[in-house]
Amino acid sequence: MPASKSPVIETRGLRKVFRDFWRRPTVEAVKGLDLTINDGEVFGLLGPNGSGKSTTIKMLLGLLRPTAGTIRVLDSAPDDTHAKACIGYLPEVSHLHTFLTPRETLMYYASLFGLSRAQAVQRTRELLAMVDLEHAADRAVGGFSKGMARRVGLAQALVNAPRLLILDEPTSGLDPIGSREVKDLVCALAKGGVTVLMTSHLLADVEDVCDRVAILDRGVLCAEGKIADLLRQPDAVRFEVEGLDEPDAAAVRAELEARTGRRVRQEYPAMSLERYFLQVVAQDGQQRTFAMAPFLGATLSAPETAPTPTSNSLPMT
Amino acid sequence: MPSKLLHRFFAASARRIGGVAVLAVRAALRTRTVAALLVLLAACVLVLPGVVKGDGTPEGELHILLTYTLSFAFGILCLATLWAACALFAAEIDSARIQLSAVKPVRAVEFWVGKWLALLVMNAVALLVVYAGVYAQVHWRMYRDGWEVIERPVSRHVARPLLPTPREEAREIFADLQARDQLPSGYSERTILRVLEQKAHEKYSEIPPGGRQAWRFQLRRPLHIGEVIAARMRFETEYNTRTQVSGICRLSCVETGRAVEVPLDDFTLKEIEFVVDARAFGQIPTEGVRAFELSFMHTGDPKRAAGLLLRFRKDVALLTPGGSFWMNMLRAAAVHWSVLALLAAFGLALSVCFSLPVAAFVATMLLVLTMVGNSVVQVVSEEDAQKWRNRAGVLVSRVVHSATRRALQAKPLAALTNGERIDTDMLRTSLGWNALLFPLLLAAASCAVLRRRELADTE
Repeated sequence: MPASKSPVIETRGLRKVFRDFWRRPTVEAVKGLDLTINDGEVFGLLGPNGSGKSTTIKMLLGLLRPTAGTIRVLDSAPDDTHAKACIGYLPEVSHLHTFLTPRETLMYYASLFGLSRAQAVQRTRELLAMVDLEHAADRAVGGFSKGMARRVGLAQALVNAPRLLILDEPTSGLDPIGSREVKDLVCALAKGGVTVLMTSHLLADVEDVCDRVAILDRGVLCAEGKIADLLRQPDAVRFEVEGLDEPDAAAVRAELEARTGRRVRQEYPAMSLERYFLQVVAQDGQQRTFAMAPFLGATLSAPETAPTPTSNSLPMT
Repeated sequence: MPSKLLHRFFAASARRIGGVAVLAVRAALRTRTVAALLVLLAACVLVLPGVVKGDGTPEGELHILLTYTLSFAFGILCLATLWAACALFAAEIDSARIQLSAVKPVRAVEFWVGKWLALLVMNAVALLVVYAGVYAQVHWRMYRDGWEVIERPVSRHVARPLLPTPREEAREIFADLQARDQLPSGYSERTILRVLEQKAHEKYSEIPPGGRQAWRFQLRRPLHIGEVIAARMRFETEYNTRTQVSGICRLSCVETGRAVEVPLDDFTLKEIEFVVDARAFGQIPTEGVRAFELSFMHTGDPKRAAGLLLRFRKDVALLTPGGSFWMNMLRAAAVHWSVLALLAAFGLALSVCFSLPVAAFVATMLLVLTMVGNSVVQVVSEEDAQKWRNRAGVLVSRVVHSATRRALQAKPLAALTNGERIDTDMLRTSLGWNALLFPLLLAAASCAVLRRRELADTE
């Protein structure tokens, strides 16, 4: 992400101390957080339970007040209604009104954005199609599975076509296909210029979609940067060769060891479980079309076939 | 251009308020709250009049229907409104559902007004259903039992005698006591005036045998040719000698100079009413007449009959036609609706500040305190109020009374039962204070709290 882009979220010296009924401090959830998230970035906020991720997000949204420090979101204070009009938020637990149907839920949140009835109806129809809930659009949300409720939650976060999307554990409760769809959606939104801030315990999810990440632990920012930069091992090089048979592989390895004078490790890489799962589901008699495809403006086919078992991966240390 | 922007702003704001209101109505309709309330109200309107035994007269039946049934139904609606309002914000905050709404571009006042409007609409519907049910019952009984025309419910303008206000009377008595150096010692002037004013409201005056009393009236709405005017006197008299009481009432029109005399000899029911046709006052001008004088002369035997005791301000009245009964019921419903609007605003204000159990508890306690406080203020004597152990209680009661006096001063059911038109002043005052000014203050306070309050917790 170019450094020249203007910050969408900026915090300086952000602190949050929770207090009990008698105003005695109980826990310091965030300790002097300096964070900058630029326009169009997909930013991942990582950390173990209790590290202050959700607290930070709630302060960014104006749901909690910082004890100290400053926050600017879309160049405004967090409780500014003009800024809020450009933000979409999916909390960790969807907190939906269980007596409403998905259609009523989306109409309600559309009304909160001041959309006219015609706009709200149109937007609701698009979003229901996007999250593949048209068949259940008029059933009460209270009877939904966690995954279905999550889809409704995701749809409400997009009801205003936000400039900034804040997703707290967006793939929690979703099956692997749903997870993949959400990640695809995040990528598509980012391509469209939407800034995304997401938290997740599933590091693979973050690695798949985020440009930059920050790692929090006990309220302190421990690391921050581009994923590629953070994960790079500067003293190692990996080669991947497809269709190399065993004698050739041994020869290449011997040659490399002779040239570098270092030990070369030879591996047969396995596909990820997610990829394997998606492949099995795709082969199960159906060429699946992702529900989010119409929203993204492209038909997504099932993932391509896995690499052949003869592929070799050769990290050189 | 600015007006177009303004229009768009208000349209968007109205949509947000409408969205919040619709959500609150849906929540009520789909969580059995309204169903439970309707069952209670139906039981109240349909069962209560059959269970409570009247005295067998149409007046008694009307009293049960209009006072007991409507009071009970209104009481149920008061509690339901208060508790429902306490839940509206508190439950949403407790369940964290408000987080999804609070991150949308909705102002605190839009949230508040949306929820308040939802309660107003639901209360209006509930009141209309209750009042329509009672109205239908009145008509059903009227035709079933063949009530006489004079026994049927009516709506009439009420004119009270032109007398000094209680405050003026209190000042007069105070000046008199001061001139005679008979003011009670140990009390401030303010306290004495307050007690005198309280007493002026309820003060009984006696018309002894052989005595005469006259009152002047100015009708708010002129009496026209073809209409009737009724004179009503309520009184207390000694039980053993009330059959010996007799008198002559004389009603005269000041503008035409003509009078009607009505001899009266039945003082056993504590109320006498007689009707006079406007034609009896001679040639009435087309714009009508307003000024009347009513006099009563006690003609009972001074040795055997006791005097009549009357509260002039309350017990003597002239009544003229004042619209239809159902319109009067609508006016009573509007007064009740305004009180419910205030309770809804009060409950919402508590809901913003506390969790649901705490808000419901505080609301109920304050309701009880209001009822007890107003009773205490009326019955406690100044002597008792001065005792040190009563001081705190009386002080709290007086504060509560002062704060709630305007909200509770309208008594629509008493007027409805007495066949008195709920006048526009009462309606305007009740709507203005209860459905507008007090809610406005409570809304301002609630929004200030809502803006400051954190809507999420550590989770």
